Amino acid sequence: MTVYSFYIFDRHAECIYKRRWLPRPTSIVGKSNQVPGAAPAGLGQTVKAGDDDAKLVFGTVFSLRNMVRKLGGEEDNFVSYNTSQYKLHYYETPTNIKFVMLTDLKSPSMRIALQQIYINLFVEYVVKNPLSPVEHPGGIGVNNELFEESLEQFVTRVLA
Amino acid sequence: MSTTKASRIGEEIWKTRIDKVNAELVTLTYGTIVAQLCQDYDSDYQQVNQQLDKMGYNIGMRLIEDFLAKSGVGRCANFRDTADMIAKVGFKIFLNVAPTVTNWASDNNQFSLIFDENPLADFVELPDDGRAQDELWFSNILCGVLRGALEMVQMQIEAHFVSDVLRGDDTTEMRVSLVRYIEDEMPPEEE
Repeated sequence: MTVYSFYIFDRHAECIYKRRWLPRPTSIVGKSNQVPGAAPAGLGQTVKAGDDDAKLVFGTVFSLRNMVRKLGGEEDNFVSYNTSQYKLHYYETPTNIKFVMLTDLKSPSMRIALQQIYINLFVEYVVKNPLSPVEHPGGIGVNNELFEESLEQFVTRVLA
Repeated sequence: MSTTKASRIGEEIWKTRIDKVNAELVTLTYGTIVAQLCQDYDSDYQQVNQQLDKMGYNIGMRLIEDFLAKSGVGRCANFRDTADMIAKVGFKIFLNVAPTVTNWASDNNQFSLIFDENPLADFVELPDDGRAQDELWFSNILCGVLRGALEMVQMQIEAHFVSDVLRGDDTTEMRVSLVRYIEDEMPPEEE
C-alpha cells in the first residue's frame, strides 16, 4: 500500500503538521488526463495550494464527523472513507486533535496506526518535549527532528 | 461507567503501563518548589497559591495527552463519570492515590475529592508564621492540573481546596465545579 499524505489538526482547527509522501492521484489536483499516481504532480504546486488542501481536508472531516454524530449519536465517529482514487483515514483524540491519513485504496484500516502515531510519536516526542510549547500555532514544536524521523520510519517501514 | 470499573482500569494501568519513580524524589522536589515560591514571593501566600495553580495548569494541559495515551479511555458520558475517571484512574496512575469522590451538588455539577493520603505533602509542616496555616494551600498545584487537563477535553472547571490536614483540618478536600462544556472551535472564516 501507499501512503500519500498525513495531517494533524489541533483543537483550534489549525493544521499543525502536514507531510506528503507521494504525489496524490492526479485527478484530485484537477489533471484528469494523467494516469493516477504516475506523474509527479506535487512538483509544480505552490505552497499556497498546499495550504489550501489542508483546509479542505479539515473542512471535510469536520463536517463529516459532525454529521456522523448527528446521525449516530455523540459517541459515533467515522473511521475512513473511500473515493475511486484514495482512502482517507481519520482518528480523533478526546482532546480534539485530529489525525488524517490519505492512502491508496488497497490499504487496510489505519485507525490503529493513527492511534499508534498519537500514542508513540505525538505524545512522546511533541507533548512530552518540555521545550516545545503546549499548543502549536503554525506547527511550532511539532516539526522537531525526533517526531519527523520516527514518523518517516513508521510510515516507510511499519506501514509499507 | 461505575466507580468500581474505573478503579479496576486505574489499577490495571498502574500495574502494567507506568514507569515508577521514587516517591520521596517527587515529595522533596515538589516541596522545594513550594519553598522557593514562598521565598520568591516573600511569603505572600496568595501569590504562591496562584503560581502553583498556574504551574499545574501548564502541566495538566500536557498530562492529559499522556493520560489518554496510557489509558486509552474515551470521552466520559457525564460529569459523574469524569469525577470517577479523575479520582480512580488519573490520580491513581500518576500519584498512586485514589481520592474519594463525594458531596455531590444536587445539579451533579460539583463534587469534592477527599484525599486520605497525599504524596505531595509527606514530611511537610507549614511555616510557623501565623499566616501560612490560614493562607497557603500547599498542594494547590493539583487544582491547576485538573483545570488544565479538563480544559483540553472541553470542560471548563473551577477547583480549589477547602481544607487540608496540613492546616490542622480533619481532611484534605478539594472542591471541583463544572463551569461549562467548551464548544468545538470552528476554522476562521475566509472568503
